[in-house]
Amino acid sequence: MTALSPRRRGPFHRQRGAWWLFLLPSGVVLTGVMLFPLGYAFWLSLHNYDLGSGSRDFIGLGNYAELLGDERFWNTLLRTVAIVMTAVSLEFCLGLMVAYGLYRLTFGVRVLNLLMFLPNIVTPVVAALFLRWIFIGRWGLVSGLLISWGIFPPDFLGDPVWARVTVVLADAWQFTPFMILVLYAGLNTVDQSQIEAAQIDGAGVWTLLFHIMLPSIRPLIVFVLAIRLMDAFRFFDTLYVLTAGGPGTATETITLYTYALAFRLLQVGKACALGVLTLVCVAMLVAVMIRVVYRREKGAF
Amino acid sequence: MRGRWISQLSLFVLLAGFTAINLTPVVWGFMTSIKQPVDAFAVPPRFVFTPTTEFHWQVWIEKGFWHFLLNSAVISVGTVIISVSIGTMAAYGLSRLSGGASRGVLFGLLAMRMFPHILLAIPFFVLARILGLVNTYPAMILALVAINQPFTIWLMRGFFVDVPHELYESAEIDGCTAWQVFARIALPIVRPGLWVTALFSLLLAYNEFLFALVLTGPDTKTLPVAIAEYGGEDLNYWSLSAAAAVGIMLPIVIFMMALQRHLVRGLALGAVKG
Repeated sequence: MTALSPRRRGPFHRQRGAWWLFLLPSGVVLTGVMLFPLGYAFWLSLHNYDLGSGSRDFIGLGNYAELLGDERFWNTLLRTVAIVMTAVSLEFCLGLMVAYGLYRLTFGVRVLNLLMFLPNIVTPVVAALFLRWIFIGRWGLVSGLLISWGIFPPDFLGDPVWARVTVVLADAWQFTPFMILVLYAGLNTVDQSQIEAAQIDGAGVWTLLFHIMLPSIRPLIVFVLAIRLMDAFRFFDTLYVLTAGGPGTATETITLYTYALAFRLLQVGKACALGVLTLVCVAMLVAVMIRVVYRREKGAF
Repeated sequence: MRGRWISQLSLFVLLAGFTAINLTPVVWGFMTSIKQPVDAFAVPPRFVFTPTTEFHWQVWIEKGFWHFLLNSAVISVGTVIISVSIGTMAAYGLSRLSGGASRGVLFGLLAMRMFPHILLAIPFFVLARILGLVNTYPAMILALVAINQPFTIWLMRGFFVDVPHELYESAEIDGCTAWQVFARIALPIVRPGLWVTALFSLLLAYNEFLFALVLTGPDTKTLPVAIAEYGGEDLNYWSLSAAAAVGIMLPIVIFMMALQRHLVRGLALGAVKG
C-alpha cells in the first residue's frame, strides 16, 4: 500500500502489499452471506416472530428463557448428545481398527480403501433411502432375512429404542469411512524408525498401536474427533429422510427440532434462539477439545 | 514366512468382509431399482430375478427427474465457478500473509465451517423471502458459495503453501505486478490442485440438502430435494425411487474413480492439514 506503483492500473497492479486485496472478494461474500445472516438470526432470536401471520414483537431474551425452561429442549439436547457420542465413539473404534488393519495389510489396500469409501460421498439423502430399504419393517433386507431364518424381527424404524440404534448405525455407516481415511493417513506419518525400534524391543501388534503409534498421532485424533463431533451435532439430511425424528420424538435431534420450529410451526424467532443455543453448545465443545490439545502440544498446527 | 502369509490373507478377508457389508445397502438399492415390485416386496428377499430397466426410464424421463438434474447441474456448476475463483484468490492471499494474521483468518474460517447450517438456513430463508429470491438460482448459488468458501480456501491454501516463495520474489524483481505474479506464476503451479478443489466443491454442492430444501421451489428443485419429497402412494414407488437414487449416485461413482488418487488429500488433509 506504499507508493511503490510505477504502473497505476487499478489496485491489483500495484507491486507490493496488495496481497490483502486477493482476500477481498471472498471476504465480501463471507461477510454478506454468512456473517450478516448470522447477525440477523441473532437479532431475530430476540423477537417473537411468526412467519405465518407476519407478527413480530421485540421480546428481548424471552425466547431463550422459554427454551431453557422447556423440558422438550433439554430432552432433545440430551438425546442429541447421546446419539452423537455413541455414533462418534463407534466410528472412532471401528475406524481405528480398520485403519490399522489397512496399515498392516501389504496388498489390495488401495482398492479396499476406495470401495469402502463410497458410503461417505454418496448423497446423504440417497444414502438414507438405501438404509431405509435395509431397515424398513417386513420388506427391508434385514427384516426379510430374519423372517426367512425364522426370527421375528423388531421394527427397526418404528420402535423408539431400535430407531435410535438404527440412527447411530446409519451415522456410523456414512462416517466410519472418513475416520478410516484420516486415521490411515495419520498412521502412515508415524516415524518408521520409532516403529522398528519398538519391534526390536519385542513389542506386539497391539502394544505397537496403543503405546507407540496412537500417542504420536494424538493431535490428529483430537482434531478429527472434534470435526466429527461438530458435524454429527448439526447433521440433518440422513435423519430427515430415515426417521424424520420419529417414532414420536425418539430420534429428534436438536437440528430437526429447530427445523420443525422454523419451517413447520413458523416460529422463526424461537427457532433462531434454538440455533444460537446450538452454536453455543458446539463452541463450548470445540473450546474444550482445543484446550485438550494445546495444553500439551503447543504449536500443533 | 508361511505364517505371515496366512495372517496377511486372513486380514485381507476380514477387511474385504467389512467392505462388503459397507457396500450392501448400495448394492441392495441397485438391485431394487432393476426389480419388478413383485420381486422388490418379496419376503424372503429375492436375489435371483429378471432384471428390468423400465423404472430407470420411467423416473428420469416420464416423471421428469431430468428436469431436477438440470437444476442440480446449473446450481452446482454455478457454485463451483464462483466459489473456486474467489476461494483461490483468497487462498493465495492467505499463503502470502504473515504467519500470525493468516492463522487468525484460518481459525475464523474453521469456525465458520462449523456453524450449524440450520442457523444460517433460517435467516437465508427470511431474507430471500423479503428480497423475492426464493425459488431462484442466484439465492441458492450464493448460499452454497458462502458455505463452501471455508472448505475451498483451506484446500487451495494447502496447494499454495507448497509453492516456494523465491519464485514470487524473483518474479517481482523482474517487474511483475501483484496480479501477474498470481495469474502467471502461482496459478499454473497449483493447476492440479485447482481441479481437485473444483471437483470437491462440485460434490458438496451436488449433495447439499438443507439449503436446497429451504431455498428452492418447483422451478429450481435439486435432485436431493426431489427424491426426498418423492411420494410413496404409487405401487411402483420403491422401484422408481430406487432407480432415481441409483441415477443420482452414478456421477458420484464416476467422481470417485476420477479422483481416487486425491481422495486422501481432499478429504483428510483438506479437513485436517494446518
